[in-house]
Amino acid sequence: MDMNLITACRFTAACAKFRIATMLAAAFVFCTISLATDCATGLSDQEKITRFKQLDGEAESAMQQHRPAEAVRLYQDAVCLVPNSARGYYGLGVAEAAAGDFLKARESLRTADRMQPTTGMPLLMQVRVNFSLGDIDTLKSNLREVADRFPHDAQLHTTLARFLAERNLFVVALAEAMRARQDSSDWNSSVQLAVLENTIGAYEDAIRNALAVEQNPAIPQQVRGAAAGVAGLSYESLHQTQQAVQYLNEAIELDGSQDNSYLALADLFDQEQRYQDAVNVLKQARTRVPDSSTVQLALGADLIRAEHYKEGLALLRELLQQAPDTPEAYISIADAARKTGDAAQEVLALNELERHKPDYPMIHVLLARAMLNQQPPEYSKILDELSIAARNTPNDPDVYFLRGKIYVALGRYEQALPALQRSIELRPTEPSAYYQLARVYQKLGRTDLAKQQFERVKYLESANSK
Amino acid sequence: MIEGTATAPNLLFVRDHFSEPEVWLDNWKLRIEGHVERPYEFGFADLVEMPSRKIEAVLECAGNAANGSAVSNGLWEGVPMASLLEAARPASDAAHVLLEGADSGRLMEDGPPLPYSQVVPIETCQEASSLVAFKYNDLTLPRRNGFPARALFPGCYGMNSVKWLRRIAVLRAGEQDTIFDRSGMNRLYNRVRSRSDREQITRVSTIQVKSAIAWPTDGLKLPAGHYAMWGFAWSGTGAIRRLSISGDGGKQWNPGKLQSQADPRSWVRWTYEWNARPGDYVLMSRAADSSGSEQPLTRDPARKDGYELNYCLPIHCSVR
Repeated sequence: MDMNLITACRFTAACAKFRIATMLAAAFVFCTISLATDCATGLSDQEKITRFKQLDGEAESAMQQHRPAEAVRLYQDAVCLVPNSARGYYGLGVAEAAAGDFLKARESLRTADRMQPTTGMPLLMQVRVNFSLGDIDTLKSNLREVADRFPHDAQLHTTLARFLAERNLFVVALAEAMRARQDSSDWNSSVQLAVLENTIGAYEDAIRNALAVEQNPAIPQQVRGAAAGVAGLSYESLHQTQQAVQYLNEAIELDGSQDNSYLALADLFDQEQRYQDAVNVLKQARTRVPDSSTVQLALGADLIRAEHYKEGLALLRELLQQAPDTPEAYISIADAARKTGDAAQEVLALNELERHKPDYPMIHVLLARAMLNQQPPEYSKILDELSIAARNTPNDPDVYFLRGKIYVALGRYEQALPALQRSIELRPTEPSAYYQLARVYQKLGRTDLAKQQFERVKYLESANSK
Repeated sequence: MIEGTATAPNLLFVRDHFSEPEVWLDNWKLRIEGHVERPYEFGFADLVEMPSRKIEAVLECAGNAANGSAVSNGLWEGVPMASLLEAARPASDAAHVLLEGADSGRLMEDGPPLPYSQVVPIETCQEASSLVAFKYNDLTLPRRNGFPARALFPGCYGMNSVKWLRRIAVLRAGEQDTIFDRSGMNRLYNRVRSRSDREQITRVSTIQVKSAIAWPTDGLKLPAGHYAMWGFAWSGTGAIRRLSISGDGGKQWNPGKLQSQADPRSWVRWTYEWNARPGDYVLMSRAADSSGSEQPLTRDPARKDGYELNYCLPIHCSVR
């Protein structure tokens, strides 16, 4: 699918979502119509108006049925009949945008705006079109015009804030959310503002706005819960863990139906290696939000971190039956197998991961390491894995260290030498590589070099311990 | 360790004269006034919806020690100060601009508490790279680094890049008795050279060419081997053109390798392949820029102030 088609699809979806057809009817009236004479010669004025309405209806219908090119043709005919119809040019602009012709769309929308400057719809659509054109300076100019002409239209600013946030233009989204909040007593707009402040790093402002909502008992619990969650996340970003825990718990108490507060709290416990606390939170989440696969995955992983292997594995295997493309689940299963000394299971889990996600980062090094723990190790297969790893990540010292270790185990000391030297070159401060190198020199009878490497191990360990 | 070339927001250096002011997004305003036809003020929402530009730039405190951490580099985004001034239509005899922050206090024991301020030539403000910055590395500025907006003069020492910016006042030539003079700020950030019979005092402004060794660190013990020594070099007088490394305290120099420089005002990462044989080393890095400026090996003995400490600093390292 090419880029234009993607953006066109996005527009089509956006048009459906925002019910452009309904908004057309509401926003634009058939005002001061002047009729063209060169489009439909022979038609009376009344007939032209009737024809215009007919074309307009057909075009709307074409848009709803995702046929923007047809809608463009119909609107072109309509504006030819009634050349000063703001409604016609707005419809044409929307259809051209849906068809992927953003430059023409921008012109049509500008014309509509000039004809009927009392509604913000053409400007709103211009913001969308300029985003698709990647013209952020003109998009900002549209926003300034909205601010000048519609300073108190909270709904328009809220719509813009949502659109911009969905496109990751967070700072301008925040600006629009600030403008919306000026003229709105809607608490949701305060939460939206706090969410954006948290997203762009204005954590103290986010906390202040979120707590104003969270602490107001007159506001619905669900909104207060969302606000408490934002406050918790902002406190976490400020590394104020105690307050973060407090407000994430508060979010769960106020609205336990949202999985993100539980996940954020568990994540915070994970960072502090409080795995049992994380398990407790996620178990609570499982009872309140039983269908959340994200909670299931997080709980499975935390059960394993907390060494409840059987329960964790059961949960993760159940998840993989429904969603086999969940790499983190395989990693957690492999983790459990390694911790319980089951190298065969670890290899199996990683093989499954490779089957589903062949480009998973470091997968071949992980596999090689797991295979080394199997008894007896299949060295040739491990070396094959390491060869693939070396091709994918040629500067990973672990690849060469493991290769060196295998050559040592196989007694192929001359081959071990360059592998270990490369590992040291890439990570000169790791004592274990020098130790393996010393062993190699010993086996090759080069005792002076072996002694030098052993001294380096000792020196490095003492330097590191200081 | 700094990956790439950008300093993380939580590591962006902080040097203040006064305590951090309480500024919120919804009550912050920036006023542009003084000798202008159209004084005006605007808020954060207005600022971020103006055309902006991004610049990768280094910011260094004028008093940053030779091995100091009061230097950072990152991607700044802001509105060109030139366009903000132009909208206010400065008088034809406008010569300087006073920049005032929301932080305030007393610089002199007998002086009044006044806001932090600096005076900058209007030509400097009109340079394309001079910004009222509101983002750093794609996030809002950290609170302690001037949130929600600060001045940014790439290539100049940090004192001019006034944090928590709230007022820009255009001044005529020779205009005095501003808060800049009354607060005593005019006595700081001056280069003082002792001459035979007098002291020569000039204002510090442009960042002097400098480099730093990030690895190895001072006092490190290493096993013999091949290492990639690395660090950064920067300058306000031109793009970095050369970086040399010495292992013997500056007697012999070898060329280091410069990585690409995003902007002449950003710092550049350098590396040096070091074959470290057993011994004791005095490592030094020395940068030179496109204007021909080169880091001095030692501090100018005539200097009496504590600014522009850009001489080459020795790093001691032993290899066994």
